[in-house]
Parts: sequence; C-alpha cells; structure tokens
Amino acid sequence: MHLMRVVIDVPVRINVGPIHPSTHGVLRLVVDVEGDKIENMEAHIGFLHRGVEKLLENRMYMQACPHMEKLDYFAPMSYDELYVAAVEQAYGIELKEKAMYVRTILLELQRIASHLASIGFLCNDIGQLFTAFMWSFKDRDMVLKLLEAATGTRMFYVNMRIGGLVRDLPPGFEDSAIELLDYLSKRIPAYEKYLEKNPVFMERNKGIGVISRDEAKNLGITGPVLRGSGVSYDIRKNKPYYVYEKLNFRIQVRNEGDNFARYKVRMLELRESIRIVREALKKMPPEGSAVGMPIRLIGPPVKNKITITERELPRGECMIYLVADPQRPYRAYIRSANFINLSAIEEMCKGQRFADIFSIIGGLDMVMADVDK
Amino acid sequence: MLISSSYSLISTFNSWLSSGNILLNILALIAYGIFISIILSVYDYLFGWAERKIIAKVQLRHGPTYVGKFGILQNLADVIKLLAKEHIVPDTADKFLYAIGLPAMMAISVLLVLVLPFSPYLQATNLALGLLFVLVLLSFMPLFIFVSAYSTGNKFADISAQRSVLMMLSYELPMLIVLASVALLSKSFNIAGIISAQSTGWFVWLMPIGFIVFFVAMLAELERPPFDFLEADSELIAGWLTDYSAPYYALSLFLDYTRMLFGSLIMAILFFGGWSGPFLPPIIWLLIKAVIISLFIIIIRTTLVRMRIDRMLKFGWVWMLPLSLVNLIITYMVFIH
Repeated sequence: MHLMRVVIDVPVRINVGPIHPSTHGVLRLVVDVEGDKIENMEAHIGFLHRGVEKLLENRMYMQACPHMEKLDYFAPMSYDELYVAAVEQAYGIELKEKAMYVRTILLELQRIASHLASIGFLCNDIGQLFTAFMWSFKDRDMVLKLLEAATGTRMFYVNMRIGGLVRDLPPGFEDSAIELLDYLSKRIPAYEKYLEKNPVFMERNKGIGVISRDEAKNLGITGPVLRGSGVSYDIRKNKPYYVYEKLNFRIQVRNEGDNFARYKVRMLELRESIRIVREALKKMPPEGSAVGMPIRLIGPPVKNKITITERELPRGECMIYLVADPQRPYRAYIRSANFINLSAIEEMCKGQRFADIFSIIGGLDMVMADVDK
Repeated sequence: MLISSSYSLISTFNSWLSSGNILLNILALIAYGIFISIILSVYDYLFGWAERKIIAKVQLRHGPTYVGKFGILQNLADVIKLLAKEHIVPDTADKFLYAIGLPAMMAISVLLVLVLPFSPYLQATNLALGLLFVLVLLSFMPLFIFVSAYSTGNKFADISAQRSVLMMLSYELPMLIVLASVALLSKSFNIAGIISAQSTGWFVWLMPIGFIVFFVAMLAELERPPFDFLEADSELIAGWLTDYSAPYYALSLFLDYTRMLFGSLIMAILFFGGWSGPFLPPIIWLLIKAVIISLFIIIIRTTLVRMRIDRMLKFGWVWMLPLSLVNLIITYMVFIH
C-alpha cells in the first residue's frame, strides 16, 4: 500500500535541488528529515562547472576577463578587477593614483549593488512574495545605471585594463553618484524599518544557522558570514590595496553568528560603502587619466613568476594564485569565497527545521556559478 | 428596473420552492445553481486578475498588460493553456485518491453555498444549525489536502501533508471557540439569525479580539500568507500541488479563489452584519463586504514573510487559543450575564 510506505520511511531522504526554486541555481542538497527536523544533510555541487581555471590557461591575459566576470554575476566587476590586479602584480605594474581612486569607487558601487540583491534574495527565500526582492532590485538597478554610465554596459562590464580602466569616468559622474548615494542612504534605513520591525522576519532569522567564531575560523569562512560570527577580518583593512588606507571606514562585526547577524552586517556594510564612495569622490585628484594600457597580444616580460592576489569581494575573500607565462597564465587557481562559505552549510543546517535551509542559503548569499567555477 | 425585475424573478423561484411540486423545486434549484456558478466564476476570474495586478503595483511592476485591456484576459489565456497541456499522473501516485482529491475539495467548497445566504430571499436552505454545518465543511478541507498530498507519492507533498495536520491542530480549535462566542452572542446557530442579531451593532465592534483570532485562523484555513506552509513555494516547490499538472492545476487555482470567496463571505456574515446596509440591495452589500475582506487578504500576501510551521503551532496554542477563550469569557460576562 502506498500510504504504508510513507509511514515506514523515517527519516525521509529528500533531494532539494538541483532544480528547486530557491537553491540559488543548481545546488543539490540531500536532506534527511524526521518530520520537519533535519537529521543529516549533504551538499552536492558541480552542476555548473565550466572549467574556468582551464579556460584561463588557454587565453591571452586580457581575453580572460569576460570569463572571470561570469563567475559571480552579482559582482562581476569585482572579479574582473581581482584578475586584472593579479596580472598587474605579475607584470609588476603600478597604477596611477587617479586609476586607483576610480577603481575603488566602482568596486564599492558594485558591492552596494551586490548587497542590495542579497537582501532581496534573503526575503524571497524565507517566503515573502517578491516584494522586498523587487524593491531592492529597483535600487540595485539605479546603481547599475550609474555603472552603465561609467562603463558602457549594465551587467558584464569588462572595464578593466592593465594599469587602469578602459575609459575615464564620464563628465557629471560625481554629481549623479552623490545624488544616488543620497537616495540610497535614505532607502537603507527604510529597508531596516520594513524588515526588522516585522516579527516574522526576525523569527525566521534570529538564532538560525548559528556558526561560532572558532568554527567559522576553522572552516575558512570569509566575508559578511565571518564578520557575522564576530571575527573582525576584512582584506580592505587587514591587507589594504588601492586607496583603502587613506579612506576612513570601519569593519562591521556582529557577534551572534546567526542568519540575522549576516543580514545585519550586509546592511551596515552598505552604509560603510556609501561612506567610502563619498570620501573617495571627494579625495579623487581632479586631473589625470585613469585609462590603462591598450591590449597587446605579447605582454612585457613577466617580473613575478608566481603571485598571490587577494581582494575583499562582496561575498568574501577571493584569491588568485597565478603562475605567469609571458602571454597567458600557466596556471591560475581561484579561491572563491562562495565555495568555502558553502562548506559550512551542513554544520549550520544540522538540527534546524526544513524551512530554515532556505533562510540559511539566503543568508550565505550563494552564487552557484562561483562555487562550481 | 433591473433590481425590481430580479426581485420578481427571485420571488417566483421562492414560490416554486415552497409550492411542493418536485419538478418546480428542481427547476428553482437549477436556477439557483446557475446563479451561484455565475457569481463564483466572475469572482474567481476577477480576483485572479486583481491579485496579479495589486501585487504587481505593490512590487513596482505592471502585471499582465498584453492580453485584453489592462491584461484582463490574461487569466483566460492561462487557463486555456493549462487545459491544453498534457495531464501527467505520476507513477508513484495512488490513482484513485489522486483523481478525487481536488474535485472533492472543490465540491466541499461549493457545498458551503447550501448554508451561506446571499440575501434574505436568496438561499438554498435555512438550516437551524447552519453555523455548525459551516464548521463541519471547513474542517473537511485539511483532510482532503492530506489525502491529495499523500496520493501523489511526492516527498515534498508528504511534508506538506504532515504540515497540514500540524496546522489543523493549531488553528481549528481557536476558530471553533470564536464561532461558539458568535453563537452565544447572537443566541442562534442559524445564519439568518446571526445576521439579524447584528442589526444593533456588528460583532466586529462587540468582540474585536474574537475577530482578529478568527481572521488569523481564516488566513491559515485559506493557506494564505503568512501561513502558506502547505504550498510554500520557496521551500516545498508547490507542496501538495507539486505533482498536479495541467487541468488539475487550473482546478487548484480555481479552488484557491473559491475558498477565498467563501472565507470572506463567512467573515462578512459573522462579523460585518452580512447583507444589512442602506439603499443598495442586500446581495450587493454582502458582496461589497466580502470583496473588501478579500482585498485585505491579498494585500497581506504582498508584505508578510512566511512563518515557520513549528512557530505556527506555538502561536496557535500560546496566543490564539487563550485569546479566543478570553473573547468567549468577555462575551459571556459583558453581553449575556
């Protein structure tokens, strides 16, 4: 009898994904549930593997940028910049000051766009019918429009060149940027009011998916997830690059280690990013050009054969280990923050309720393209 | 002119009903059935469209715009598409239960028409214990959700079925107690009696706590957010509806709005004075009240996050049950004693 079968199979093993509305792409979770409680869980990845590292080995240095951007489609420019910075380090090229400021501004705007999207996704995953999602995506879109004005495309920018950028900031960029930042600094408290005064939102996030300080360190978690667990670690402060040293901002840390702490860290980082962009716009030298070198097929001689470049991306610390040949990378290893952060999901989900899996995925802010590479 | 002619039509049918002639009785019931079908289809269709439009407005989108003026024919196009698609019955399904689950739920929803009157002259029966009949029909719903969910043999549907039992435990009892206090206050189990008892003041003013508890329980009964655990789209894909395709899925959508109509009608009758109101004919008043309540339910859907099922159980027993008891005691002490 059919009904009998259901009674006997306890715990029930369920495949969540790879085709599921809220696994942020193609994550497959094999979950053993007893009633509504998660007994055991196993994450399976690799459905979106494209072999980006191998692709990089078969391309000239500057042909690889579009591939890097597709790793994290919510912060493409950050990945682009990480790769170009790695190549610059291999060639030993120093940036002009103007180019450093422009890159900092664009990267922080990209971080704002990415964090806004993540807040929308979190609300969506815990079962709100796309309202916060649509609102935050509207605000993200305004940031994307500004980036479009600066780079020429809306999403996949390919705007970095060795030694600078493809083009200077357009005239009038500063005014429209400040206008946007004013608007966003009004919107962010509105989001907080809307979400944090909602008891159901708090209930679904407080105390869910707790990961302690030590566990987070042991697992190698980075980014807002790590800072939500009370570790004050941010590459922008700890190993500063570009002009972050000259700018005044703080690392935002929360000690709870739960889903709400991760959300809150992102909210606070949005404010910090707005501060950084404002200050960088003020301090940016008015003269000079930010344009980098034109693309050449045969590069200058490689100065540093083996380099490691680290950057603080919106989802955490990413790293490229680059073994350089004159024309193309001999080997490029990418440490993606998402992949490492995902390794904590089994730890976080054990003992939680079935519905909490999705708030935890939302809190981790997964991008599966980045995990599977 | 229209109103007076419809009144004469209704009185003709009523005279047929009371004539004792079986043939005329059947004719009158068929006419009433056609009338109910028209109201149901128009309401379901318009709310299917209005819900999409309202949610779109809240979410800064446009909603359907292409098919017909303001996209009003979009749902018709969707239903035609669903009916034209292949109906897939999963191998794991218990074929009989799978086939009867949704139609049975639809039938039970429509059976509510038997006791819910649209106006003093427009009702199928005038049961003395109409309120109890409503309660019985409402408590059949989770049972059939359970049956349909298990019949598909899908594991997400299995979880949904388990949840439906938990949910029934959490909201059914407070709902029953609020209904008891309504009966206590009106000194009647008859629906018409309850409405006439509200001629001095709507029950929503006399027992606001009771109304709030009943409204929350009704949201849970209708599987509306924040209590849409059974269909939880971001968790269970579509819950008990995961393996229902094509025509059955269209039926489930139809069922959803039908249940919302009857939920709103019950609330309008029990708490907002039913058909009473000046100038307009009674049926218009009742429908206006029901539509406003339905719109409120839709707006709640756009803003609230889904609760967790275990919290719902706690919420039901820690808040709703004591509050409904408090409501019953206050009703007894203030208005009866």
